[in-house]
Amino acid sequence: MDTGLLKKAPPTRRRGSSDRRTELLLGALAVGVLALIGLLLVTVLVKAWPSFSHNGYIKWFFPGGDVDTQLSAIENARPGSGNALYHLRAWPLLWATFLTTGLAVLFGLVLSTLSAIFIVEFAPRAMQRVLDPVVRLLAGVPSVIYGLIGVLALAPWIEEHLISEQRKESVTYVVQLTGTNLGLAVLILTVMITPIMVAISTSALASVPSAWTEGSAALGVNRWRTIWRVSLRTARPAIIAGAVLATGRALGEAIMLSLVAGGRSFAPNLLDGLTVLFEPARPAAATLLTYIDGISDPYLAHALYAIGAVLLVSCGLLSLAAWAAKQPLKRYGIRT
Amino acid sequence: MRSRPTRVATLSLLTAFTLLLTPAAAGARSLLLSGSTSMYPLVTQIAALYHKETHQPTPRVGQGTSGAGIDEVAAGRVDIADVSRDPIIGQDPKGLVFTKIARDALCVITNSSNHLTNLSQQSVEQIFTGQIRSWSEVPGATVSGPIDLYDRVSSSGTQDAFEDIFLGETLKIAPSASQLETEGGMRQAIIGDKNGIGFASFDFIGGTNAVGYQGIPCTLPNAKSGQYEGVRNFWMVTKGDPKGAAAKFIDWIINRHNTAVEKIVATEWIPVY
Repeated sequence: MDTGLLKKAPPTRRRGSSDRRTELLLGALAVGVLALIGLLLVTVLVKAWPSFSHNGYIKWFFPGGDVDTQLSAIENARPGSGNALYHLRAWPLLWATFLTTGLAVLFGLVLSTLSAIFIVEFAPRAMQRVLDPVVRLLAGVPSVIYGLIGVLALAPWIEEHLISEQRKESVTYVVQLTGTNLGLAVLILTVMITPIMVAISTSALASVPSAWTEGSAALGVNRWRTIWRVSLRTARPAIIAGAVLATGRALGEAIMLSLVAGGRSFAPNLLDGLTVLFEPARPAAATLLTYIDGISDPYLAHALYAIGAVLLVSCGLLSLAAWAAKQPLKRYGIRT
Repeated sequence: MRSRPTRVATLSLLTAFTLLLTPAAAGARSLLLSGSTSMYPLVTQIAALYHKETHQPTPRVGQGTSGAGIDEVAAGRVDIADVSRDPIIGQDPKGLVFTKIARDALCVITNSSNHLTNLSQQSVEQIFTGQIRSWSEVPGATVSGPIDLYDRVSSSGTQDAFEDIFLGETLKIAPSASQLETEGGMRQAIIGDKNGIGFASFDFIGGTNAVGYQGIPCTLPNAKSGQYEGVRNFWMVTKGDPKGAAAKFIDWIINRHNTAVEKIVATEWIPVY
């Protein structure tokens, strides 16, 4: 391409060579960024490795004992105290991450799809013009603000009105129920990630070719069925991609969750029925934040890097999933 | 001859570097402090007074935990760490120098609807190690139902000091307790939970019910007179002996004739010099 340009327009030769230099410079920057990401991944994995290997790899992911006790033991252990330096069974963290993220994304998916349908198909123009920026604004609210609302307003209310004494006593020898718990975490996380999903779903629904929906209407299909069968089906990959992005944000959310999810790494037990909503559940990212102050301890650092590595790999897989989910859109010639 | 884009790039790079380097190049740099959230209210007041009296730049005080402060000062990222627990031999990095600047009363706190006035040594141990889990088993408690135990995170100096002073060397707070990262978080949790019990520095007990320990109410006069035993030390920690600006600041604080500092300390804490 460059050489062609030079042949056709000799007077711009000098300009062309400086363009080339800029191109090289920008290319080097891009490669640098890639190298940085690679370096980050390698560093985290290398630092995390001892934690995995000393726990028998797969066992690291298993349940077994109390994570807070194990992490404190790692932090306080002196070199030479053997197994205590590495012993970690991270299941409660992973389970809590899975529960908070999974439930929030599930609720968010339903809520956001319905709101997006309303905004695109039913809302009057004036309302659309207000809703669109509001949704985008909500998507950008810093998570710590949600956390503060949760811990200052909602947690005391839940403690006072929703958790009965009998419920507390029923599990008192297993876990302590307080206002900060799984239910509150899921609630706030849902509020936090839904706007992102609404924003993405709205633009996907709006970009469904109007000829398709008009065609459907022309065939005598009613409005709801048209939305369900034509619009949603076309926008489905984008909705899924939005959900995946939201999952990424939920996975990495630390500050808000460390405030409202209950300061304790407990694996909520689904067999407890409704009580499970009031059990504490501190996800992996929030746990990292809680223990980050002890990072100078090399053994605790291995454990924290291991938790971080799991998060990093999960987020990487999610990005891949988001990319894969978007592919079918291209078949219809729709870009979002 | 250099082409224009390159010159622009070089220029902007140079500008960026100059901007980055300016604060470091300026002569009088503020001291950097970090560490205990318990000490933050005291140290910020002292720092403001230091600027007013000596016209040195106001030391900048960050917050984390005592453990974080120790890490940062050992790594050279801050000049002084605020540490609200005693040195731990074998665990703290070598070469740190601890200078005591004040003493501080630690209170057991409950929700204000629980008018518990006193806890014996035995009750404190039973409650905080999780042996007793219901308020009905605690004499003097005016709430019923299960006890909600609140703890600080493991890098907290307050947690370490509380375990040392109230539970002795071997007992630990029950792992079932909810962990909070800051003094303010602890106070907020106790204010919001009528079944809650936890512990906090005297300066952070507002809005809660401070419980006496071993028959002595947790008040400032009792702590100053030495009757109340739940008292811990506040330290300023430096890497090696304090040098330069850090030495100036610390010497100014612990100066026996510095009554202004003593006046600040005496408002909520216990002077040592």
